[in-house]
Amino acid sequence: MQHRLKYINYTCLLALSSLCMLSCKKDAPYATPVASDKLQNQAIKRTLGPNIVGQQIEFAYAMAIVPSKGKLVSCVAEASIAGAAGTYMENRSFYTASTGADVGVVVGSPSVTTKTTTTVTYTKDTSAATLRYYYVIPEEARGKSVTIKFTATASDGETISTTMGPYTIAKMDMVLNMKVTDSNLMYISIGDTAVYNAANAAAHAASIDLVYLYRANVTTSAFNHALVAPAADPQYLPGVTLPAGVNRTAKLLKVFNLQDFNLAHEQYGIYIDDVDFTQLDLTGDPNFAINLKAEAGVWIETADKKYRAYIFVNSVTAPKGAVPASAILSIKRYAL
Amino acid sequence: MKKNIIMALTLLLAASTWVACKKDTPIDEDGLLITTRRECYVSSFELLGTDFVTVRAATAVIDTTAQTVKVTVLFGTDLKNLYPQFTLAQDCKLDPKITGKTDFSDLANPKVWTVVSGDRQIRKPYTVIVTVQPR
Repeated sequence: MQHRLKYINYTCLLALSSLCMLSCKKDAPYATPVASDKLQNQAIKRTLGPNIVGQQIEFAYAMAIVPSKGKLVSCVAEASIAGAAGTYMENRSFYTASTGADVGVVVGSPSVTTKTTTTVTYTKDTSAATLRYYYVIPEEARGKSVTIKFTATASDGETISTTMGPYTIAKMDMVLNMKVTDSNLMYISIGDTAVYNAANAAAHAASIDLVYLYRANVTTSAFNHALVAPAADPQYLPGVTLPAGVNRTAKLLKVFNLQDFNLAHEQYGIYIDDVDFTQLDLTGDPNFAINLKAEAGVWIETADKKYRAYIFVNSVTAPKGAVPASAILSIKRYAL
Repeated sequence: MKKNIIMALTLLLAASTWVACKKDTPIDEDGLLITTRRECYVSSFELLGTDFVTVRAATAVIDTTAQTVKVTVLFGTDLKNLYPQFTLAQDCKLDPKITGKTDFSDLANPKVWTVVSGDRQIRKPYTVIVTVQPR
């Protein structure tokens, strides 16, 4: 009995050890990857949020070839809709220094843009580089789609391409940092995206949608900075004599904590896009918004239902001595 | 014989446990636990505007005897689009449920909400009286 047990034990041990050896063998040894001997490329889009006319879309396009095979000759970016003035490709290749700052090394001649193509020809012997392409969105692209085709050429005759997109260009416009002043530049027109003072307001009366005013308080209640439609109850326009013809109404919705990145340029990653305007429902909302402070926002729909906009209050300044109160506003406007 | 007795007792135990368990977890139609608490009152009240910032000029005055909540809102508040928030006594719930924006613009006919106690036996209607800060 004892002999048999010993026999069984040793057999099991042998079987187990052989199993271990087999299982270890299953792992193949790590092999260093071998670089492809063809020209390679990769592109990424670096900007986030809606693509607004007048703003840039930034791309980073990387191209590389094994040094023994040759070097890079040129890089071409072709857009389906020609970019606006200011469209260029960076002729420097960047690396991040130990300080954390990006340092550029000139590798090519300054980019040449003709209609839809932007070209950079390499002047330094490089077999790998990443160039940044800045496409300024033109007015012609509003509401349409844009695709960008990147092509790299190497000295051994190889070419390779990547197509990025299609990217939908937003229908909306944007106006940043409009200054409004109490008792002076206080008549705001969404249609014109402009601010008028009392003297000019009468001439543009038909397009004025809002009045900006500041009152520390109205008798006993706080009022502060306010955006009020001209047709609102006069109790919300204390001490304001409206110029002739300025009498439109509007629908306003007061919000807070909606610091759209394009308007506020703060650390919040919130973006308002066309779809937010098409889905906006302001039925039952009032025509005044008082007690506004910095970082507050107001959704607005004009009386003729031609425009919907989001007005962001970048900053407010209380009156000091003879200097009246003022505010800085940024607007995203969508034509319905 | 012994086996039969044991089987019968086990069956009895199982049956009684099943019945007892049912009584310990009574749930009402909203899936909330029905407890033995009989307190039924509003302990605090908040009113938010469309920007989710408070529109109250001061803390709401709650009278648990008269069953009213008196709140003064800031001048220029849009009364049609407000979000009321009630804090109730433990285990209570509110009827009707508040699902979104509430219209408080009819100041002559204040809105009434009923507070239901934890044991769901006591129902107390609370009237929310809103006054707007004068100009």
